[in-house]
Amino acid sequence: MNYNEATQRYFETAPGAGVLGGPGTFRGAAGSRAHGTWVQFDVQVNAGVIQTARFLAFGCPHTIAVSAWVAEQAAGQELRAALPETVQQLSDRFAVPVEKRGRLLIVEDAWIAASRGALVHCGAALECSPVAPMSQGSK
Amino acid sequence: MNRPVYLDYAATTPVDPRVAAAMARCLTAEGEFGNPASASHAFGDAARVLVETARAQVAASMGAAPDEVVWTSGATEANNLAIFGVAEYYRESGRHIVTARTEHKAVLDPCRELERRGWRVTYLSPDRGGLIQPDRIAAALQADTVLVSIMHINNETGVIQDIRRIAAICAEHGGARLHVDAAQSAGKRDVDFAHLGADLMSLSAHKAYGPKGVGALLVSRRARGRDAAVQLRALQFGGGQERALRAGTVATHQVVGMGLAFELARAALESESERLAALRERLWRGLALLGGVMRNGDAEQSVPHLLNVSFEGVEGESLLAAVRGRLAVSTGSACTSALQEPSYVLRALGRDDVLSESSLRFGLGRFTREPDIDTAIAVVTEAVSRLRRLAGA
Repeated sequence: MNYNEATQRYFETAPGAGVLGGPGTFRGAAGSRAHGTWVQFDVQVNAGVIQTARFLAFGCPHTIAVSAWVAEQAAGQELRAALPETVQQLSDRFAVPVEKRGRLLIVEDAWIAASRGALVHCGAALECSPVAPMSQGSK
Repeated sequence: MNRPVYLDYAATTPVDPRVAAAMARCLTAEGEFGNPASASHAFGDAARVLVETARAQVAASMGAAPDEVVWTSGATEANNLAIFGVAEYYRESGRHIVTARTEHKAVLDPCRELERRGWRVTYLSPDRGGLIQPDRIAAALQADTVLVSIMHINNETGVIQDIRRIAAICAEHGGARLHVDAAQSAGKRDVDFAHLGADLMSLSAHKAYGPKGVGALLVSRRARGRDAAVQLRALQFGGGQERALRAGTVATHQVVGMGLAFELARAALESESERLAALRERLWRGLALLGGVMRNGDAEQSVPHLLNVSFEGVEGESLLAAVRGRLAVSTGSACTSALQEPSYVLRALGRDDVLSESSLRFGLGRFTREPDIDTAIAVVTEAVSRLRRLAGA
C-alpha cells in the first residue's frame, strides 16, 4: 500500500509516542489489539490547557500517523472533548482510504475518553489534580 | 539509491543470465524465431528442435517423460487445465473433488467455480504444522471422487506434503486422479514424477530463475492398474498443439527459457539446498532473539528456502511498511484492497487473525548471501522493537 507524505512522516517519526504520569494526567483508550486497532492517549492538563500529550497505538500506519499528529497538535490547546480536526479532515490530510476510516473513529474515541476524563475531573474550575487513569480500552 | 534486500524468491525469481541469453537467441532474425509448428521449412524445424530440447530438459529435471510435458502459460493455467480438464472428462463418472484449504488460489478458485457448476468439493484442513495427513484424504474419498488436488510445497509456509502416500491412496481408490501443484518445487526439492505416482503436475518457470509467462502440466502416460492413463478435456481449441490439450503457437523463447532454467536448477539443487538451509537457520536464530516470534509450518517437513514467522505485538501492515524500504518480503496478508485480509493459509494452521497478519514470509534464493540475512535480521529486529514500543507492548 502507498502512503502520502504526511502518513509516511508521522508513521516513521511518531512524535509524541509514549506515556505520561503525575499530576494533571489523564488517560483514555479505545479499540482492541485482538481486533487489530488499539489507541491510548495521555494528556497532561493545567488550568484547562493541554500541556502535553502522548500516545500508544497498535494498528496500521494510518492509525499510528494520525495518533501521532493528534498528540503533537494538542500541546498548548484548550482542553475539549474533540479532535483538532474532524475525522473527514484527518482522512483527507492523511489520505486514509474509505475502507479504513473506521480506524480513525477509534483514534477519536481514545482522544475523547482521555479529554473527557480530564474535563470531568477538572470541572468548571479548570484546576486539575492527580487522578486515576480513565478508560483503558481493551488491550 | 540502494535497492532493498530481495527475500521474496517464493513469489518470483530473477531470470538467470544464461537463461535470458538463450531466450534472446530465439527472438530476432538472426536467431531461431520460426514457428515450431511450421513443418515446411528450416526455420520451423530449428525452432521445433529447440522446443523439443526444452521439453526433454523439463522432463529430465522432473523425472517425467518428454511426451508427458504439456506447455502452458504458467502454473495457474496448468492448474486450470488439470482441474477443469479432469472434471469435464470424467463428469459422467463422478462429480466430487478433494483438495485442501491451504492450496493456492489457482487451485481453490477453479474448485469454487466447479462448485458453482454442480460439482462437490471437500476442502481438507491441515494439522497445525500445515501437513495434510494422508489418512484424512483416504477418509474424504467418495465413490464418485474423480480428482484429488494437493500441492507439493506450500507457497507460504514451505511445508512439503507426502505426495507419494497420497498417490498410493488415490491409486487404491481407482477413480480418483491425483493432481499436484508443484509450482514451488523445481530446484527446491528432488522431484521424480514417475516415482511420486501423481497423474498430473503443474509447473512454473519463473519460480526457478526462468521467465514469467510459461509453465507446464505434466500429464502421466502411465496406465493405472487396469485403468487407462489420465485423460483431460482441453480448455482451448485452435491448432491442435500439445497433443490437442493446449492449442496455440508454442512460444519458443519462453519454453527454451524454462527448459534451461529447470536444467540449471536441478544441477544446483543439492548444493543450493544445503547453503539455503544454513542461511535460513541463521535467519531464524537471529529473529528468534526478539522473543514473541512463532515459526509457521512444520520445520522438519519444509523446504530450505522458505521461512514464515509471526511476530507477536505488532500489526501486520505496519510491520511491512516499516521494513519495505530495506527489505522485500511478503506478509501473511493478502492486500486485495485497502484493508488487508489475514492469510487463509496461516488461519488454516490455527493462527488467529492478528498473528496471521503479523507474519513475514522470507524466500531465500540463488543470489541470497549471508550479509543479506544479517541485514534482514537487523531491519526486522528494529521494526518489530519499535512497533512494540509504540504499542506499549
